[in-house]
Amino acid sequence: MSDIKEISPNNLALFGIIGGLVGIYVSPLFPPYTPTLGALGAICAVIWSAEAVRRVAKYGLGTGVPSIGQIAMGMGIVAAMFGLAIVTAFPGATMAGPVVALITASVIGFIIGWFAQNVIKMKIPVMIRCMTEIAAAGSLVIIGFSVAVAGNFEFSNIIAMVFDNGVMLAVFWVGAMAMLHPFNACLGPDERQKRLLYLAGSTGAITMAIMGIAAIMTLGTSGVITLILGIILWLIFYKKFWDEVYKDSAAVVGTGLIPKTEA
Amino acid sequence: MVALDPTLIMNVLLIAISGTLVCIAVHFIPVGGAPAAMAQATGIGTGTVELAAGSGLVGLITASYMYANEPAASMALVLAAGAMGSMIMIASTMFAGSLIYAYGVGVPFASAQIKKDPFTGARQDLYMSKGTQGQGLPTVCFVSGIIGAALGGAGGGLIYFVLVQLYSQSALIGTSAAAVAGVFTMGVFYVNAVIPSYGVGGTIEGFHDPKFRRVLPKDAVTSFIVSLICGVVAVFIGGGLL
Repeated sequence: MSDIKEISPNNLALFGIIGGLVGIYVSPLFPPYTPTLGALGAICAVIWSAEAVRRVAKYGLGTGVPSIGQIAMGMGIVAAMFGLAIVTAFPGATMAGPVVALITASVIGFIIGWFAQNVIKMKIPVMIRCMTEIAAAGSLVIIGFSVAVAGNFEFSNIIAMVFDNGVMLAVFWVGAMAMLHPFNACLGPDERQKRLLYLAGSTGAITMAIMGIAAIMTLGTSGVITLILGIILWLIFYKKFWDEVYKDSAAVVGTGLIPKTEA
Repeated sequence: MVALDPTLIMNVLLIAISGTLVCIAVHFIPVGGAPAAMAQATGIGTGTVELAAGSGLVGLITASYMYANEPAASMALVLAAGAMGSMIMIASTMFAGSLIYAYGVGVPFASAQIKKDPFTGARQDLYMSKGTQGQGLPTVCFVSGIIGAALGGAGGGLIYFVLVQLYSQSALIGTSAAAVAGVFTMGVFYVNAVIPSYGVGGTIEGFHDPKFRRVLPKDAVTSFIVSLICGVVAVFIGGGLL
């Protein structure tokens, strides 16, 4: 099965960054129909981060895959809050918030990756790049899902609708699960990118459905759209993942029996 | 940008110190990972991050409870409340784990890293099963875990204490200071719980483990610098430097 074509990390990174930012920027435009696009953008970022987690966790972190999802959300939340808050000090710069958050997350991720590689000496060649990507994706996931719940990315609005009522904890935890679960579930010698990406889509979509429930509380109509779209996307992606599992398990069965001489 | 206020620099430094405290705390907690879950290594059978975060977040809750009920509380009181919550959490985890190891799995508690327990004086190597890295939670690991939890809870409480005071003066955050400070603390906490867990490579027995001395300095340096950056970012969120 060596002739499988994989999507290159660069293309997936572009997909995550562009998809994530477009979703976040379009979401405040036509309420109540567009806030759900923030969650769709976050799904793009989830798919990107799942691939980044896959590349770095393949080397064996020694602490399990979940740790990298948690550090991603830790870096992401710090950067997202900074990016959205700092622009409020400059009148007219509110639009730059998500981009500032993305850049801040990349810088923090790069620094942590550099230290992990050169000071802690983890000896993982892709550490710096993947840590940068994971942090950046983490910030997009947090902003994207927050926007789906709050309706726009003004920090004061996000504080009132996402922080005060505790929805941020759901964004944090379910978002982290969406990022780390795909590789955690698929890892092993038979792991394939296509299956993992479909699973990432499905975890992202179910996170979107949960954010839909939260958004019904805060935004009303828009939340219903997010919830229904999230469930539909989850069913689609999960079916795709299911099909891939069937295909791959057939390949495993077909490898032949254990040699008789061993008995 | 105005001239740097000494209290702001103090706040940034306090956040950096508390992040480092969390990092040091992780090294004290006896984590065995998957081997310990099968009673083949000393420590609690789960990941470093889960234990550090579990105890640290309980510390955060108790610290914030103290602060919410007594806003005039001194820093020492908030830190003590955080440490206490954290210690109770980790002690109950270790106690419940020990019950299962002793009466469920049926293994004698022994450490692979030392010959004699410094607290009880009991020989360890006699009770080690062949092919394992020790099993269960000997007294030294239990004590080490309690010390670690105290440091972690105090660290988490300190970040919260600094941030909630900073943010309650901010025009942007104001009344939501507790929520924003809590979430930011959680972010810094996770970053500082994962960094040392990469350093220790998943398992550590406590302060008596040779690994402790080997990895602590570089993990602490990393954590200090990363927390320093987080501190600067935190002050910016409060609009302090602008």
